[in-house]
Amino acid sequence: MSRSPAVSRRFALTALGAGAAWALGLSEQRPVRAASSGPRNFIGIYMPHGMARELWVPKPGFDISYTDSVLSPFDDAVGFGQSFREQITTLEGLDLSTGMAAGTVGHDGSRVLLTGSGGNGRNASIDQFLALEQGLGQGLPLSSLVLGVGAAGPALGTCISYAKGGSALPKIIDPEQTFQQCFAQWLVGNDPAALAQAAAERKRGKSLLDYWRVEIAALAARAPESERDKLEQHANALRELEQRLDGGLAACTPPTAPDPSQFPSLQAYQGGEPYFDTVTNLQIDLLAQAMACGVTRVATLFLSDLTRTHFDPQLPEDVHIDVAHRYDSKGRAGGGGNPSTWQALGRQNRYTYSKIARLMQRLSERDLLRDSVIVAMSDMGDPARHSSRQIPTLLAGGWGGLLKGGRHIDLGATGTPNNRLLVSIQQAFGVNSDSFGQSSDPSLLSGSLDLT
Amino acid sequence: MLAPALRRLSVAELEQSASAVLGAAVDYRDALPPDARQADFSRNIGQSVDSLTLRQLYDATRTASASVTLDRVVFPGCAARAQPSDAACQHETVATLAQLAFRRAPSEAELTRLLALFNTGAEGGTFRDGVQLVLRALLGSPQLLYESTLGDGPPQAGAVRLSQSELASALSYGISGTPPDAELLAAAAAGELTSGSERQKQATRLLGRAETLQLLQRFVEEWLGLEQLPQLAKASSVVSGFPALSRAMQQETRSFVGDALGSGGGDLTTLFAGGYSLVPDELAPIYGIQPVAAGTRVSLRGVSRVGLLQQSSFLSVFAHESESAPVLRGKAVLVRVLCRSVPQPQELGINVVPPAPDPQSTTRARFERHVSDPLCATCHSQLDPVGFTFENFDAIGRLRATDMGQAVDTHGSISLDGASLELADSVALADAIAHSEELRSCAARQVVRFASGRSDPAAEAAFVEETAHLPASWRGTLLGLFLSYVNSDGFAWRSAP
Repeated sequence: MSRSPAVSRRFALTALGAGAAWALGLSEQRPVRAASSGPRNFIGIYMPHGMARELWVPKPGFDISYTDSVLSPFDDAVGFGQSFREQITTLEGLDLSTGMAAGTVGHDGSRVLLTGSGGNGRNASIDQFLALEQGLGQGLPLSSLVLGVGAAGPALGTCISYAKGGSALPKIIDPEQTFQQCFAQWLVGNDPAALAQAAAERKRGKSLLDYWRVEIAALAARAPESERDKLEQHANALRELEQRLDGGLAACTPPTAPDPSQFPSLQAYQGGEPYFDTVTNLQIDLLAQAMACGVTRVATLFLSDLTRTHFDPQLPEDVHIDVAHRYDSKGRAGGGGNPSTWQALGRQNRYTYSKIARLMQRLSERDLLRDSVIVAMSDMGDPARHSSRQIPTLLAGGWGGLLKGGRHIDLGATGTPNNRLLVSIQQAFGVNSDSFGQSSDPSLLSGSLDLT
Repeated sequence: MLAPALRRLSVAELEQSASAVLGAAVDYRDALPPDARQADFSRNIGQSVDSLTLRQLYDATRTASASVTLDRVVFPGCAARAQPSDAACQHETVATLAQLAFRRAPSEAELTRLLALFNTGAEGGTFRDGVQLVLRALLGSPQLLYESTLGDGPPQAGAVRLSQSELASALSYGISGTPPDAELLAAAAAGELTSGSERQKQATRLLGRAETLQLLQRFVEEWLGLEQLPQLAKASSVVSGFPALSRAMQQETRSFVGDALGSGGGDLTTLFAGGYSLVPDELAPIYGIQPVAAGTRVSLRGVSRVGLLQQSSFLSVFAHESESAPVLRGKAVLVRVLCRSVPQPQELGINVVPPAPDPQSTTRARFERHVSDPLCATCHSQLDPVGFTFENFDAIGRLRATDMGQAVDTHGSISLDGASLELADSVALADAIAHSEELRSCAARQVVRFASGRSDPAAEAAFVEETAHLPASWRGTLLGLFLSYVNSDGFAWRSAP
């Protein structure tokens, strides 16, 4: 693994690519609406293991600081600089209905969270839809940042970001790689020889891009409709590469390059677990700084659980089996259940939320929280039942003034398709459409939620 | 019939393809994101060139090209001493490299564009600088990154035939995981690959390559889900040092598959019930045998292990961290080995609450609750009696006589080829499966999924139908199935767009 070059105090990052229509002309990016109002950034987060509902639902008056409350990190000014109680909304009652209709359930439910589609869906997840199809990522060095902790592979159950066409996107799980992708390529040293070398490389890179674009266009001319999404994705990737190579400077405060000795191993099941807490913090900090620096406006983060991390000595080694699988809920109707199992799952849930509180703190410090849409969901409601119903959902950030925080919205026990949340998100970003996702049952796709 | 497609090569295939162009081994494993899976297989048409993959590929190919030396055999003899302005050597070098990258002869227009890149790279520099930029262009070229099966020529009865160069690539990647070699490209250039028997002859020639063995080993691993081994953890209460053990498990299965391929063409009866294995030293205590010399067959029928299903790789993957998993094992046998479909409980509206460990109760007794619930019993009356036959193996496939202090019960049952069979244990299960028609048709389906990179029930059914007419020695061996598929019309034709 190559080490990052030293970061100069004043550094430059490339922005504002040529923005010229690309050779294929398959699709033109549409500019998002004028950013005078509404949100500017989107962050989607996967949280593991469903929810201890008993410790999640706020008490009357949006009390989230009761004993053992899972939400308490959002009202912890000592731990996170301020209380975010008024910048969060808990949303109960969403079902992964399109997934259930397609048999994409249980551990595969993460496929449905941001796509509103089952495993056979071909639409992009909301993050990629906003970044590429709606132009939120236009002209930026990275149209989006897809991050994870512990598992890089683009497998059905471990991804929430999907490209148009339906393929899962790989995640960056190495903070050093996150740094490289976001910042390091744009570092310009003061050494004239290095500057000349960078200029020569830029020229070579541009000639390569021109060459590949013509090849993609030739391939697209021969390819059937079914393969066009793949080539469009490839062409979008070329365009982003060009933005990385281009000139154009934007100043911002540089983050420090992560020190790889802090995370000698990264992969789950291969010894990475003890470093997951450190890795998670670094990913969050780099993500917030990337947004502050204008590197990207769209990101997703696939969080890991505490299994084998030995982070919380009060939890068993295998949180997945011995906590999530053993959760014994009293259910919505109340009565029954085993409170000690709520406590255990609640510890895992609270840990996850503490990371989201950290992200909110970092965004707030950079004056980005008000204009950010943060959505955190698990793939399951009751994890012991591997249930795709009653998905615990946290809406956070100011949504550019469009989200009224400090409240709990209960959509009821009957189940509302999560597509409605995705419709509400796209509408918050100015997309004038009442439908999102794909399903054999179109009635699941339309409608929105009143979040104001 | 399969639809035309562009398949982005898997990471392993990208390495092989880049190595062929560079004339030296390339390692992309840590440089590129892992493969996306579809129908369990890493070579599939769902793979794409996303932004992260492209950025990482850009960096990896720059690194790989930077260390190139022009004395490698892939380069024409003139290259090592040529001046950057040597037009003849430029042309020869670029044409040679482009043919390796595109897996066909480049057109003059393509050469012109590559030569322009050469001159950009060589400007103010050396011949090698020009070569380097051309190499970067080729290693990142869509023509290298995608295996095209679009077909060409006029449609005939709603179908188009793959072009000669497409046939060469599909054959080579599908049999050996590598780009076509010179002999195969020559056969393509001569138009010989239209003939199914010629394709089969070429595929037979490739069987001797080490890469072919690796590809077929990967096929078996991905078919049975064994590639999940490096991502497994086992509870410390079960075993310590599992990562090292799991590498030995992988090694056992690869050696065994290699042995079965070498001696009987990957005979399905041998793979599932050959009664022997090649056991690494680390596994000898787990199997309750004395260590044997590496590469030596050892009979394991006496210790209840007759084939792949009783190897600790399979038994560990389909187990929980601390206990056996009859449901996972049963499902793996039915879905992966016999190609049956089993719905997920959530699809049926069934809530899943796995039974908690109970020191008074065996795993089997806890899971037998399934059949007392009529809704669960719909599927579990098929799954569990298969999974229970493995109950004499624990979470890492170690033989056990008792579970929670009580004697294990391995009896079970299965319906196979239309007959209901009572089974004493998983050895009886494996013996029955190994000789069944269902295994042979499922293996044929899996070969189509692997080779075509997708799950296409109609195309699979068509090939199963074709194999029904083959001699038993062909339809009952992996090599026979792969060679037959290469020979088939389903391999060479695509639906007209």
